[in-house]
Amino acid sequence: MKLNSYRRCRPGGDHSKVNEESIDPSFRRARTGTLIKRPGRRVLQVAGLRLALQLAVLTILFFAAGRADAAVVAKSAVEAKLAYCQDCHGLTGQGYRGFFPIPRLAGQQVEYLENQLRAFVEGRRPNPIMSNVAHVLSPSMITALAEKFRDFNPGPLGGAPKDLIAKGQKIFQEGVPDANVAACAACHGPKALGYEQIPRLAGQLYPYLIKELTNWSKERGQNPAKPDTSFIMAPVAHSLTRPQVEAVAAYLSDLK
Amino acid sequence: MITRPSLRCSVAGPLDDRRCRRLAKVVGLKFAPLSAILVIVFATAVRAENKDAAATKQAVEAKMKYCEVCHGASGQGFQGYYPIPRLAGQQPDYIKNQLEAFDERRRVNPIMFNVAHVLSPAMQTALATNFHEFNPKPFGGGQKDLVAAGQKIFEEGIAKSDVPPCASCHGPQAKGDGQFPRLAGQLPDYVFKKLTNWSKERGQDPAKPDTSAIMEPIAHGLTEPQIKAVAAYLSYLE
Repeated sequence: MKLNSYRRCRPGGDHSKVNEESIDPSFRRARTGTLIKRPGRRVLQVAGLRLALQLAVLTILFFAAGRADAAVVAKSAVEAKLAYCQDCHGLTGQGYRGFFPIPRLAGQQVEYLENQLRAFVEGRRPNPIMSNVAHVLSPSMITALAEKFRDFNPGPLGGAPKDLIAKGQKIFQEGVPDANVAACAACHGPKALGYEQIPRLAGQLYPYLIKELTNWSKERGQNPAKPDTSFIMAPVAHSLTRPQVEAVAAYLSDLK
Repeated sequence: MITRPSLRCSVAGPLDDRRCRRLAKVVGLKFAPLSAILVIVFATAVRAENKDAAATKQAVEAKMKYCEVCHGASGQGFQGYYPIPRLAGQQPDYIKNQLEAFDERRRVNPIMFNVAHVLSPAMQTALATNFHEFNPKPFGGGQKDLVAAGQKIFEEGIAKSDVPPCASCHGPQAKGDGQFPRLAGQLPDYVFKKLTNWSKERGQDPAKPDTSAIMEPIAHGLTEPQIKAVAAYLSYLE
């Protein structure tokens, strides 16, 4: 068989005589001219089944893999992300006095951490650094990280002026009734350990606490379309004077 | 400020000396009572200010905001580290009694002592009246499967433990009456804590026994599961 007999099979070839040749239907002519036996019906059935099965298995695995990410975060991924957080927040989450005071996360309430990470992402708490951090975290990663930090228990970083501590303790336990400042202990607990959405304050960094309290309304609840629970602290933050803020911050920064 | 018109009768003026002095006397006399009244009024006002200044509209609003930080924006209560009770719809007499009890340490609570200590009676009345007007939805949160049992106890009491039906004093809808507190919509953890802790927290001044004694046999007569059930029932009541 000469190749040029199959000129019709080449590009630009004459297709008018494609089926002129008659061969046994159980065979077909390849482009090179070779006769190839077509597969039998049973072979086709089996092949079809196998293909279908493989496709099904792959589809299931693919989707299952996608869903599994929401339920379970790979241990190695959490460890890696934790190391990333620790770069700024400290090896045991005790916080860090860098250019910015970076808050303690050790022993923090899980629900509070989850809420704050969500607030960063949604712009309710504007912070360019933290919104980038939070933006890539899946909900299950957020919970995993929060649980890790909750379990850390280093001593407080300290460093606040010691002479303010007694005054701060009084404000923490009694509030300032004449200035309509509620006692912190009423919501944060007598040892400032927090409760669910209410953050732990014990051992928090002195400059961080001052910053948050003096800046509350400029930093929290910044999306008027999405009011959040941060509003509860606004009257307290407003009513405290700067010396009172510093005193409470000093007391808390010393608490284990 | 009231100043007596200075009539220097020695100075030559429209009036002769005698008329001038008479005028001065009359004017002085007329003005004296007025001055006296004004002095008294001012003095009283100053004294009143120390006691009742806190009852100005602004002061009441500021104090309300302060209460709401812990008790919730419409007094519905708050589950913080401590369960902070609902004040919405509460009987004003009851709130005032409790504030006095906190202040006199008949009811022991260090945080509320400081709150109550600076409140004048007028302020207490104003706050109690305001909270009485709030009507948010109940807090809920009680164990749902206990609600039926709780309702039974609330309406029928527990005869064999000598526990009267709560409804008999607190009302069939637990809205309270006068000194008897409203219980409807109260936080379940709060109800539980109070009933289990009654004798350690209330009536703590033996020299000044108070009406809290009425609840003692009831609080003692109820078992913890029963208290949980009643608390669950109450937490859903509107």
